[in-house]
Amino acid sequence: MRIVTLFMLGGITWAQLTSERLLKSGAEPQNWTTYSGSYKGWRYSLLDQVNRTNVDQLKVAWVYQMPVTERIETTPLVVDGVMYLSEPPSNVVALDAATGRPYWRYRRSLPDKINTCCGQVNRGVAVVGDRVIVGTVDAHLVALHAKTGAVLWDVKVAESKNGYSLTGAPLIVKDMVITGIAGGEYGIRGFLDAYDLKTGERRWRFWTIPEPGQPGSESWSGDAWKRGGGPTWVTGAYDPAQNLIIWGVGNPSPDWNGDVRPGDNLYSDSAIALDADTGKLKWHFQFVPHDVHDWDAVQVPVLVDGEWQGKPRKMVYWAHRNGFFYVLDRTTGEFLLGKAFATQTWNNGFTAQGRPIRKPNIDPSPQGTYLWPGVQGATNWYSPSYSPQTGFFYLTAWENKGLYRKGDAEYIPGNHYIGSVPEIDLPEEPGWGAIRALNPKTGERMWEHKMHTKPWSGVMTTAGKLLFGSTGGWISREKTAMESYFFALDAESGKELWRINLGGTMASNPMTYSVNGKQMIVMPAGSGVFAFSLPSP
Amino acid sequence: MTSFPVFPVVWLIAAAALAQDIKNPHTTAADVAAGARIFRSHCADCHGLAGQGGKGPDLTTGVLFHGSSDAALLKNVSDGIEGTAMPGSFFSSDQVWQVIAFVRTLAKAGPAKAPAGDAGRGRMLFASRGCAGCHLVKGTGGVNGPDLSFVGSRRPPDQLRKSILEPNAQVDQAYWMAGIVLENGTPYKGFLLNEDTYYVQILHPAQGLLTLPKRDFREFIVQKTSAMPSYQGKLQEAELQDLVAYLWSLQRPRSAE
Repeated sequence: MRIVTLFMLGGITWAQLTSERLLKSGAEPQNWTTYSGSYKGWRYSLLDQVNRTNVDQLKVAWVYQMPVTERIETTPLVVDGVMYLSEPPSNVVALDAATGRPYWRYRRSLPDKINTCCGQVNRGVAVVGDRVIVGTVDAHLVALHAKTGAVLWDVKVAESKNGYSLTGAPLIVKDMVITGIAGGEYGIRGFLDAYDLKTGERRWRFWTIPEPGQPGSESWSGDAWKRGGGPTWVTGAYDPAQNLIIWGVGNPSPDWNGDVRPGDNLYSDSAIALDADTGKLKWHFQFVPHDVHDWDAVQVPVLVDGEWQGKPRKMVYWAHRNGFFYVLDRTTGEFLLGKAFATQTWNNGFTAQGRPIRKPNIDPSPQGTYLWPGVQGATNWYSPSYSPQTGFFYLTAWENKGLYRKGDAEYIPGNHYIGSVPEIDLPEEPGWGAIRALNPKTGERMWEHKMHTKPWSGVMTTAGKLLFGSTGGWISREKTAMESYFFALDAESGKELWRINLGGTMASNPMTYSVNGKQMIVMPAGSGVFAFSLPSP
Repeated sequence: MTSFPVFPVVWLIAAAALAQDIKNPHTTAADVAAGARIFRSHCADCHGLAGQGGKGPDLTTGVLFHGSSDAALLKNVSDGIEGTAMPGSFFSSDQVWQVIAFVRTLAKAGPAKAPAGDAGRGRMLFASRGCAGCHLVKGTGGVNGPDLSFVGSRRPPDQLRKSILEPNAQVDQAYWMAGIVLENGTPYKGFLLNEDTYYVQILHPAQGLLTLPKRDFREFIVQKTSAMPSYQGKLQEAELQDLVAYLWSLQRPRSAE
């Protein structure tokens, strides 16, 4: 055993990313160390080598082509010159960040039948110390050695046969790995989990659907809670000062037929704030009580400390799938603001507590109910961004109408438990998209960049006063008209400064890093991960 | 829910249900003979001429770690097995079925007997004689050598014994050493991961993953021998048997079907 110890000590000379470094990610903008670039969920970089004066000179530096056909939703991470990224369904690759050449690849062997609602996708890995953590579509959490991709531990998080899967990027908090779960279309009972980074042992689990006797259980009827949904499939944020993990919870199950679950259905469609050490609920805010439109609260929470009506306040900014931009108090969950950022026809306003005042006749019906926003929401899981330079909140928004139908929902384990399927792309009204900049103090729109089609990817801002985003629809045989432009906008004015057609589906988020003194801008498209940089002088 | 997936999912469920009913339609003596010919030319290199194992697992035990059903075999022989060295084949499905028919005849030997030696003592030796400094077993140990977590499923006992005594007998390309000296005199030595026209990628024991530009090289040698010392004469025969028994006991769990 002595030899093992010596070897481990020797390993420390290799530059390691620690949990402490994750707390101060702003001090190392050359790296991109968490899903959103920092615990605050800003997807903002301090790098400014690429800026408004030179962004039009960006060139492709390298492309990494994934040998897979499934849609790429990953945000790569970069630590000290090595890029770690997931490939769908649940593979991991380490690349040289300067050339895009792969060092190692972990290929997950999967069972024949995988229950994922919307593709066997993965949104990214977490990295700390000598380990890379990935969630798998067969609902395991796996730790790999960062040097070799060797499996260090592999734990089963939930039963994949019953519709549970892991698609989101885990988040490292202290010596724990935090992971959510997917499966809101399979009648799962959702949770948020913390695992010991060293051993993979579970530290705590917060059930997003309370059982009888627990607080919140009064918002359910009968045994609907057992398959009440509430998945947690997009990476949340962490507030170290208050030791709070802030995370979004998805739709109640079944999605479009609420008859079996009278009540508000807590904590579906809510922001939850948990004590990081215990997993105990500190506060929650439910955006949509008793949701019947699949309006998940699976957006990245954006944590900002600033002034609210003249007084300093710790806040969360949240652009929700239901079409409203919210500001919440981060210590108490108190509702401060709710303002529409896209066309909506379901809500007449809010009570003082932030409960929506629903319009009549908005529920799904057997003959179909037309409503804005449509089922994919006015925004979705793709990331927003906050720039401290401009003070604006940025997001990808959809202007679209949906037709919501209501059908039967019978629960059979491992099968869809949804209650019909709404129509998304209405031929007479296909909808369109935009990048929008909001003043988060008022929710007022500062500018927008319109797109002909509906995009599926998020935005990033940089200290070069730039916003990167894309017109990336899903390219399919049926929709040859879909666009796939990756572009840079002036973060202050929204003016387009550069664009390139990448010719494939874009369904993830831009990120940036620096290697050998060169800033790289990264966007996945089609089966490739594209890295752009300025030409060498 | 992020998309509109209903039809593919329904189709997948139907396909999965179908897979369980798949049975080998080619099981005559002529099929077995045809399968044997294909096996010898395409499979024996790893699995041994009699299926006794080598670079690949022993197929005579009847235990197939990635599934024993006809459906699982059809998939694994046709497509290969992700995460392992098992490649896919380019044969027609009729030929794949013939190979499967032959593989079924190999299993007559019955479950493999554990080699002589005490696996428990072998485990202690693995820790005390330096093996764990370089080899990972289920998450513990070093990464400067192959991960041995499931080596018992991949190598028969005599191969394990040989690797301990003659590490150079068979060195996986992933463990070749690159020795590089840059024009400025800086030396690098590490496992050679990849080489292309412009770069060499290595795993350096102290600096981790590195990509070095060839244009800066003064010297570049590839050492195809193993960095592992031979244990010939360093272990008693009984100790060697114990170590082999331990390594053989590191079996991959069988996949649930």
